[in-house]
Amino acid sequence: MSKRLVFLLCAALACAVLVAACGDDDDGGGGGSAGTEETGATEGVQAVDPKSMDGAKGEVTYCSGKDTSGDLKETIEEFNKANPGLTVKLVEFPEDAQQQHDQFVQRQKAKSGDCDGFEEDVVWTAEFASQKWLMDMTPYIETRKDDFIASTLETVTFDGKNFGAPRVSDAGIMYYRTDQVKEFPGTWQELYQQAADNDGIVYQGSAYEGLTVDYLELAFAAGGSVISEDGTKSTIDSPENLKALKFMADGVKSGAAPKAVTTMTEEPARRAWEAGKATFMRNWSYCYALSQEAPKVKGKFDVAPYPEFEGGGKAAVLGGHNMVISVYSKNPGGMLKFIDYATSTERISKNAAKYSKTPTIGASYDDAAVKKAMPFADALRQGVENAKSRPVSPVYPQISEAIFKNVNAALSGSMSPEEALKKADSDINEALQTF
Amino acid sequence: MEAASIKAGTPTRRRSRDLSERRLAAYMVSPSLLLIALVAAYPIIYAVWLSLHEYSVRVAGLSRWAGFRNYSNILQDAEFWAAVKNTFIFTAASVTLETVIGMAMALAMHTAFRGQGLLRTVVLVPWAVLTVVTAMMWRTIFDPTLGVVNAVLGTDIVWLGESPHAMIVMIIADVWKTAPFMALLLLAGLQVIPGEIYEAAKVDGATMWQRFQKITLPLLMPALLVALIFRTLDALRIFDLPFVLTKGAHGTNTLSLEAYQTFTANNIIGAGAALAVITFIIVMIVSFLYIRFVGGNIRGLAEES
Amino acid sequence: MATTATGVTEPGTAVEATTRKRKAATGPKTPWWVWLAVAAIVVFCLAPFYWLINVSLKTGPDLSGSAVVPPNPTLDNYESIFKNDDFVKALGNSAIVSLSVTVLALLVGSFCAYALARLKFPAKFWLLALILSITTFPPIAIATPIFRLWSDMPFGLPDLFNTKIGLIIPYLTFALPLAIYILVSFFKEIPKDLEEAALVDGATRFQAFRKVVIPLAAPGLATAGILTFIFAWNEFLLAVTLTSTPKARTVPAAIAFFTGSTEFEEPLGTISAASVVISVPLIFLVLFFQKRIVAGLTAGAVKG
Repeated sequence: MSKRLVFLLCAALACAVLVAACGDDDDGGGGGSAGTEETGATEGVQAVDPKSMDGAKGEVTYCSGKDTSGDLKETIEEFNKANPGLTVKLVEFPEDAQQQHDQFVQRQKAKSGDCDGFEEDVVWTAEFASQKWLMDMTPYIETRKDDFIASTLETVTFDGKNFGAPRVSDAGIMYYRTDQVKEFPGTWQELYQQAADNDGIVYQGSAYEGLTVDYLELAFAAGGSVISEDGTKSTIDSPENLKALKFMADGVKSGAAPKAVTTMTEEPARRAWEAGKATFMRNWSYCYALSQEAPKVKGKFDVAPYPEFEGGGKAAVLGGHNMVISVYSKNPGGMLKFIDYATSTERISKNAAKYSKTPTIGASYDDAAVKKAMPFADALRQGVENAKSRPVSPVYPQISEAIFKNVNAALSGSMSPEEALKKADSDINEALQTF
Repeated sequence: MEAASIKAGTPTRRRSRDLSERRLAAYMVSPSLLLIALVAAYPIIYAVWLSLHEYSVRVAGLSRWAGFRNYSNILQDAEFWAAVKNTFIFTAASVTLETVIGMAMALAMHTAFRGQGLLRTVVLVPWAVLTVVTAMMWRTIFDPTLGVVNAVLGTDIVWLGESPHAMIVMIIADVWKTAPFMALLLLAGLQVIPGEIYEAAKVDGATMWQRFQKITLPLLMPALLVALIFRTLDALRIFDLPFVLTKGAHGTNTLSLEAYQTFTANNIIGAGAALAVITFIIVMIVSFLYIRFVGGNIRGLAEES
Repeated sequence: MATTATGVTEPGTAVEATTRKRKAATGPKTPWWVWLAVAAIVVFCLAPFYWLINVSLKTGPDLSGSAVVPPNPTLDNYESIFKNDDFVKALGNSAIVSLSVTVLALLVGSFCAYALARLKFPAKFWLLALILSITTFPPIAIATPIFRLWSDMPFGLPDLFNTKIGLIIPYLTFALPLAIYILVSFFKEIPKDLEEAALVDGATRFQAFRKVVIPLAAPGLATAGILTFIFAWNEFLLAVTLTSTPKARTVPAAIAFFTGSTEFEEPLGTISAASVVISVPLIFLVLFFQKRIVAGLTAGAVKG
């Protein structure tokens, strides 16, 4: 019996090989796209009609990473109260961004209507839209274009259409010890010098998305870019990017940044900072409130937007979350109504004042309550307005991996900056060739 | 000739007994087989099917037949071979250390017979802790600035930031978790060896080492092989540890992690499925080799008792 | 496997007998270096666990420190996890799922193991190889296909996504190989004469299985049971993939949802407390059953 089994298996294998040898079917269209360019990748995607908001009722489910601050829960509560007949239910995913990504992708692949809407990270728009998982929200966004800060709108744009509404933004800021830094430096180079003379700078240098952000902050400031305008070629191996990478790697070598940064994500950096072991910290705005309670740094620090890069300019990278609607939703009108409320100026201002959520709407920054709750609001606004997006591409995850893997290798000294950029260049080009 | 005629004398009774045994066997085996077919076989067949196609990341719903292209691409990818290397290094080092340390623990526990029950429980504590939590624990312990290891050694090595240090931490974490499990299995094996054999050997003047070599090891072989094969297969598929500790950076990328990265994180379904299938095949080959050369007990189990 | 004069051997007693004999032979004195080794073992096993307890008793800025003893020990973390309804629910789910999986694995596994150990049928070797090959499956390959199947069941069956049954079925399947393996080894230990005697008395094969073999196989069942329980209790990947709300979420998945006050904050304190809490039932289970486990594992080793 066993011999027969083996024979059958071999026969099956042979058949498979034969079929494969008979050639492929159609070839797919390729090419990446910067957000605003039209590539037709999302042709035929259904658009959500703003009029469908009127009279929408029933139940809709909004999926999001765990609502740690409570602003989303409050938003939902208030909305449900004001809209009897339409109920929003919250389904929470794990905290980890990657897991949120995977959970949403799972459901979309299974064409499940489990999530009517989703709170996506800003870098996922191209990936999800090109898979035709998101509804076209252009008609709705057109009516409110001027509300939102331009840079945040960039993150919901793909193939010339808008696929989401920005709800929360974020830009990194520089925390510094006022008892060690007399005058905030005007350039990155000065900053690193001051760091070397004192207790150093900590940032997110581990091999993950956070490093892509931190590196691009320097690279963009130095005048570099990641992919070409049309999104088909890698431009990462450039003199500007090399300058930025060398600067970062030398910083670790010279001790301006402790070697440990190569394993730090947001929290370990914050912990080192709160333990009083660093003079500077690059992190998101959430650390402000927490650091106010840390005995070793309490009252001894302030924040500022990033300085200039010598020979370049200033730059920041935009973070945050957008609200998107799934194409498999059975009640897109209802979802849109909720999104309309959640991204309204008053709601966003309330979230900023009460929960320190970075607003995506310009008017919120002028709100008195917001200014009171976030004294660094101006620095934040500058950061958000000047922030650039990470490369918009359906293969962004691979591009990011190419960047953070190789930058991390350069920082830890296992590759020279030149080698690292060359490898990143070939990795990104390979990624752009993905079918 | 005689045998044949004797056999010929009772054909019906034997045949009906055989048949009813087979029928009973079918009933008793079928629930397991059903579960295996549904939950285990279906995913693998599905994965193989996926691996023979390419699914577009840029254009929704676009897919094409790829034959073995995914496989040939993977086999030419340096990162894949690096993952293979890492996986095998990890497996060899972990399993060896687990066995040696486990053996030492088992021998010690075997001799100290007071408080054995408590000791056995203590020894299972590492096994009882969630793998993800174990990884988080060890990551904290090896933290460059706030961890206990650097504090005690007085160094500032960034353990999880360099290779081979990251792999070392991963091995330590895994050995911590499973050496006790090995110790338990080996202890059980030790306790079956009759004491008289040792007495006789002592009387004959055998040294401790000789006793270990000539008596303990051979008699312990069956238990050892069982433990080894299950541990080896587990180590080859390791995922939780590198995922939490390093996400695969600095020389700790394993086959399962690479498959996850491609399939789920990068959404390249065809190649990801191919990686999963390749991992499966590699693990199958290893288990085959085990059974063939090291013995295992499959034949013994399948034989009529 | 030896049979005594009366033709009956209790697997468990063989171990006890040998141990007692050994004790008598070597006397009550154990060399000092053995105690040293024992101490080393205890430290090896418990030190990192102590670290876990240490962290679980810290909160706030203390967590950023590396103190070996918590400077301000507090039970806040434990309080907060038990106040967390989702966590308590998860404990319940884990208990239900793990117990069900254990009972079912013993049931289904013992059937299959008995057939393999005693009954005559073709392709036994291949069946055993097939069962063992389940342990070679990479978890990644399993998660997504099952998710898709559970989310969209054919033949009008109810969807099993985010249900406890949806977890029990895969767990059961993956617990079977080890359970079957242990039980087969164990069943082979039991002398055939006992079953033969029952058959002669007019019992069917199945009755012989139920009334003679199972009671004698208790240690083997205990071993397989504990290992299965621990596996189901600690399983992580499928738990996160196949559940979406606290309704069906088990503890390992629930821990992934533990949060601090921000999206980046990793609440080490509460995670550590939760880990201590979920390890405790396992430790008690083992303490209670460990004698049986040893006897169970022993039997497997002898024949193997």
